[in-house]
Amino acid sequence: MKRLAHPIFWQLVSRSIRKDYLENLTGFAWLILQPLMLLSVYAFVFSTIFKARVPDSLDVGFVAYLAVAFWPWTAFSEAVLKAGGTVRANAALIGKVAFPSELLPLSMVVATFLMNMAGYAAVLVVLSLTGTDIHWLGVVAMLPVLVLLAVLAGAIGLVMSALQVFVRDVAQILPPLMTFWFFTTPILYSPTYLPDRLAEVIAWNPMAWFVGFVRAAALQGELHPGLAGIAIAVSALLLFWLGLRFFRRLSGHFEDFL
Amino acid sequence: MNAPLIRVDGVSKFYPRVHRAGERMRAFMALLAGREPQDGAEVLHDVSFEIRPGESFGIIGENGAGKSTLLKILTGVISPSRGSVEVNARIAALLELGAGFQPEFSGLDNVRMKASLLGMSPRRLERKLDDILAFADIGDYIHEPVKHYSSGMVVRLGFAVVTASDPELLITDEVLAVGDESFQKKCIRWIEAFLERGNTLLMVSHSMYQVQKLCRRALWLQDGRAQLQGDVFEVTQSYLAWHESRGAQEKRQRATARGESGLYRIESMDVAPRSGDEVRLASGEDLGLELVLHSPDGRAPVALVGIVRADGTPVYGVASDQDGARPERVDEHHYRFRVRFRAPPLLPGLYSLRGHAMDPEGLRLFDTAEQRFLVRGESRELGMVRLEHEWTDEGPGDAESSR
Repeated sequence: MKRLAHPIFWQLVSRSIRKDYLENLTGFAWLILQPLMLLSVYAFVFSTIFKARVPDSLDVGFVAYLAVAFWPWTAFSEAVLKAGGTVRANAALIGKVAFPSELLPLSMVVATFLMNMAGYAAVLVVLSLTGTDIHWLGVVAMLPVLVLLAVLAGAIGLVMSALQVFVRDVAQILPPLMTFWFFTTPILYSPTYLPDRLAEVIAWNPMAWFVGFVRAAALQGELHPGLAGIAIAVSALLLFWLGLRFFRRLSGHFEDFL
Repeated sequence: MNAPLIRVDGVSKFYPRVHRAGERMRAFMALLAGREPQDGAEVLHDVSFEIRPGESFGIIGENGAGKSTLLKILTGVISPSRGSVEVNARIAALLELGAGFQPEFSGLDNVRMKASLLGMSPRRLERKLDDILAFADIGDYIHEPVKHYSSGMVVRLGFAVVTASDPELLITDEVLAVGDESFQKKCIRWIEAFLERGNTLLMVSHSMYQVQKLCRRALWLQDGRAQLQGDVFEVTQSYLAWHESRGAQEKRQRATARGESGLYRIESMDVAPRSGDEVRLASGEDLGLELVLHSPDGRAPVALVGIVRADGTPVYGVASDQDGARPERVDEHHYRFRVRFRAPPLLPGLYSLRGHAMDPEGLRLFDTAEQRFLVRGESRELGMVRLEHEWTDEGPGDAESSR
């Protein structure tokens, strides 16, 4: 763990934030604009064309229902995709300077989460101002769950970034896989409207638990992580440890393959 | 005796073959299983050495001898395929100029980045920042993106950060070759002070002068093997001697190749007056030269002859076509040139007489032969040749009229 506290870590985090957003013309605005545009596209397609409905037990509009789950997913998916490319993108650095290279994907995950969480906070405020009943206590309580989500993204990011050095195809396979994961996670729809057999399968998707948890917390103020939550927390930490071991076993040889 | 700072023990390095996807996969699986790749291109073979605290150690060798790979192993950028490396020091490495620099970011941002790569905490960096900027001495450029920097400025900045990181062991790879004279001097002064403080230096350089000046011990790498290690003068001199002998060998090979491909070349060169193997010339004696040139196409080649001092400084040279001299034809392919220097006014010392074979147009030079000769005598005159002169009463302007 000492290697993770290397001074380079926060340098890398701030570097990726600035590189992606702050040096653009419009800068920080894109942080919120881009997911907002995506959100309106999905909201239009699913609420107007497909007539997707919010579960009857909930008294919120579809946009709010979608938005609350959409930002954590975006943070997760972006973090995995970006972290997956970090080792190859920093080939020059890895070949010349000795430093714990696992910090490359991990700092990318942290940077992506920080940026998206800023957007998430803004959206929650906007929703609250426009009449949606946001349970702020629930929002605070979901923070550890979001950290857990980042840990899971870190685990996958570690594996994918190391794997990409040896198997270049990962860069091509990963985006469609993440899209598939997006649609098999109840973000655009409510799991209650799924056919029973499909709902059983999708319940195994850990992202379904995350999405369900943040929705219940932010929209209803309900916090019941349950047994599934504990199982997911344990497995996320275990996956992270395994991912780190996988990465470190390979990282000494990156230079030979990059 | 204190413990070594670096211990390199039987280190070998293979670069696995990874061009085809299948080879990458196999190498990848082997790594996952915890096996080191044991085949591929071998760039280092069984290299061992130790460096003790306070020592200065140079690594020399040709391009591709494995020097950079060895440094990468020492800094931990790559791991050795066999053998072990032990480093017990805070290392700062200047492997390549601007390693870890991001061209889009400003110099200052890159200083922060580089400093953190070297393990400096932000607080420590803030304390040292003024020193760094003063050492780099690039003025307001520090706020410009690094992509607008000259390579010299990049090195200045990189070296400045390294000086501030207070390493115990500095590893440099040929970086001092960049940067202007005054900055190089500044770096060398810094390194000397660094060594005086009891720190350790490991440097790779092609400049034997720098190695001899800064290092006390050296390792000569040749094709990935340790050819020689020990005292810096012994190692650098063997290395230079090896280079010279190889240079001569190559020249001979070139000459043979030339003969086979049928170009103009020197068949024989004879110089008089000869006494045994040596050519000695007394003051006032004539210097004679006979040159037989081979012409592949039967046309008369041009001969170029010249005298140089032993250190290579030219004294005089002339080509046969400049004088309109015609060679004597020996047979279809051979032409003989005879030249006589009448009592050459050379001051005593060691000289070389050179003969060159050129094409009939006198444009291209194909072959060279050389004969050393000694001008005997004693003289306290200065220079190479004795110019005709007299000491007179007349003023300098009257010289013309007095003749």
